[in-house]
Amino acid sequence: MLKTLRNILKTGDATVKYPFAPLHTWPDMRGKPEHDAIACIACGACAVACPPNAIQMQTDLRAGTTMWSIDYGRCIFCGRCEEVCPLSAISLESEFELAVMRKDDLIETCTYQLQACSECGEYFAPRKEVDYAVRLLSSMPGNPEVEEAAQLASVCPTCKRRRDAVAAKAADDAHAKAKGGEA
Amino acid sequence: MKRKALSKKPGASHVEAVRERFPGVVKDVAWQTDDQVTVTVATDALPDVVEYLYFGRGGWLPVMIGNDERPIKGCYALYYVLSMEEEDKGWVVVRAEVDPDTLEFPSVTPRVPACVWSEREVRDMYGLRPVGLPDERRLVLPDDWPDNLYPLRKDSMDYRHRPQPVRDVENYTFLSDTGDRETTVVPMGPLHITSDEPGHFRLFVEGEEIVDADYRLFYIHRGMEKVAESRLNYDAVTFLADRICGICGCAHSVAYAEAVENAQGIEVPARAQAIRALVLEVERLHSHLLNLGLVCHYCGFDTGFQHFWRVREKAMDLAELLTGHRKTYGLNLIGGVRRDILAEQKMETIRLVHELRDETCSVVDALLETPNFEGRAKGVGRLDPKIARAFSPVGPCVRGSGFARDVRFDHPFDGYKMLQDSFKARSYDGCDVLSRTLVRIDEVFDSFDMVEYLLENAPSGPILTEDWTYDPHKFALGFTEAPRGEDVHWAMVGDNQKCYRWRAKAATYSNWPVLRYMFRGNTISDAALIVGSIDPCYSCTERVTIVDVNKKTEKVLTKDQLESYCRRRTHSPLKD
Repeated sequence: MLKTLRNILKTGDATVKYPFAPLHTWPDMRGKPEHDAIACIACGACAVACPPNAIQMQTDLRAGTTMWSIDYGRCIFCGRCEEVCPLSAISLESEFELAVMRKDDLIETCTYQLQACSECGEYFAPRKEVDYAVRLLSSMPGNPEVEEAAQLASVCPTCKRRRDAVAAKAADDAHAKAKGGEA
Repeated sequence: MKRKALSKKPGASHVEAVRERFPGVVKDVAWQTDDQVTVTVATDALPDVVEYLYFGRGGWLPVMIGNDERPIKGCYALYYVLSMEEEDKGWVVVRAEVDPDTLEFPSVTPRVPACVWSEREVRDMYGLRPVGLPDERRLVLPDDWPDNLYPLRKDSMDYRHRPQPVRDVENYTFLSDTGDRETTVVPMGPLHITSDEPGHFRLFVEGEEIVDADYRLFYIHRGMEKVAESRLNYDAVTFLADRICGICGCAHSVAYAEAVENAQGIEVPARAQAIRALVLEVERLHSHLLNLGLVCHYCGFDTGFQHFWRVREKAMDLAELLTGHRKTYGLNLIGGVRRDILAEQKMETIRLVHELRDETCSVVDALLETPNFEGRAKGVGRLDPKIARAFSPVGPCVRGSGFARDVRFDHPFDGYKMLQDSFKARSYDGCDVLSRTLVRIDEVFDSFDMVEYLLENAPSGPILTEDWTYDPHKFALGFTEAPRGEDVHWAMVGDNQKCYRWRAKAATYSNWPVLRYMFRGNTISDAALIVGSIDPCYSCTERVTIVDVNKKTEKVLTKDQLESYCRRRTHSPLKD
């Protein structure tokens, strides 16, 4: 009994002023994931890694866009998106007060343009992702293979394969011709 | 020569003993890790072998796992997991194959009661028939589930399928063993799921004394194992495993990660192992402080309750500091952990643990000095050691009945390998609520010491390895000592980067079957205290039906009525 009373006296007031004063949190706590729409290249790595599918990508080929979205109602604040993002375009901040009046307000979206293939005109990748690839490739000058790849950045994989096949056929024909000439 | 090398492995002597005692029964022996062996036996001999290992060689049975192996091996398989805890400690898994046409196997429950829930579950999930199982009621599936739909069969259903209810009345029979006295069982109305873990209890009473009790759980079975098999990749399941429990999430995700790591032969870096053990101890701190607070609450010592929960808040703070999350979630990946403990976090942790120890000391003193506590908890809710031995309960529940079972020490894993010299499993032999509480108090103080020891002695180095090759259809056990007892996970990955089968056994799964025996002979006012002492989610006592054996009357008590009677012990809600 005496010990209990002593505890009570020693403790004093255990409650804090929150929400009228800020709540103590540690600097590295995993709070709301903040998306940097400008840095993001819409590559979708976060959508693949997200365990509860809170982050999703939706592609609209007719409009030539892809929509990145996050549903904070589904998010489990694990931070896998932050770990896998190649551009640090998403990071978990210390904000944790996410209550909203309407459930739809928990969803944030961001729409990106797709790149159309310069040969066939089909959409094949987010434009910013293609730009990012070009930036990366052009940071390695002096290599003819890399320079060629940079030039072909806006060609879709199907057309690239077709080009390769045509080139291979041409080389093959030339080889056969040369061989035939020899014989 | 080869056999000699084999017999050095922990647990190998048990395999030899089975071979000697039951000649020709062992079909195959496969080692998953140095201390895990799976022995495939002839299905007819299954009860003999499990009984022999359990009672004859000091085995305990946490769980039995069913698996639909028709696509791989053309049959169903059962894995009876035995933790050998006397001589030659190790894990021996007895595997038996079940014919996909007859679907029958001999039940082990009549010989080893600890199998009862697992065999009932296999019956629900795969439609396998344990011949001779004394209790053939459904365990997991609700009454309105179709009769021939077995959720975990590989060819049965998509995880999103919600079958139409086939009936709208409850047809679950509650069992009672009340001798020759007649009892009445009346069906209950629709269920109100108002809490996160609802259960339904029926106490069969004579006046105030509980003659027998039965209960029904699994009202909110979430089908996590099915989801893990179909929707998530195997490396994302750690995050789902976290969410099995709102308190001991990390224990589950470590157990899952270890199951996969053991199966794939992944060597987890030593620093990651130490961090895992450290966070598990932080988890134990906040869980035990929570339960100690609840014990105060049940004894009518609400000041103590408030103080324990105030102190507990600091343990939650510690968890946030170390994992970025108050609930120790999201720490594990296959191959290690995601967050290192940096120098400043180490200093903060030492400071917090120091404060916590002082404050816990003073609130524990206050609790133990309260005469009401001993009067209320001593001799109440007796778990007879014989019953405990038969049903394999776990955690403080069994350690309060004189058995020092604790996987941290029986089968050291992760950072606990470093702690074997300085610590040991705690036990008391009062068999009552008091003993279980005292075990928890001791363990809280052990946890402080363990956290400090691990902080000081954790080796430096990497915390995550990605250096392994994925090998389909390999399986193994993973296990941790959660605050409530051992969590045992069994995982087999498939050829599609997903779990082929994942079985997560939570600690309380092993403790429910003994609750009935703990109720017997106590009074109604003790019921909430007894349930609280196994530390399940408290809301399990949400609704209780009281059936008076003599008067043949029946009354439904609310949680509030029962709780208030437990604390005041006057104004019986039955007398009005």
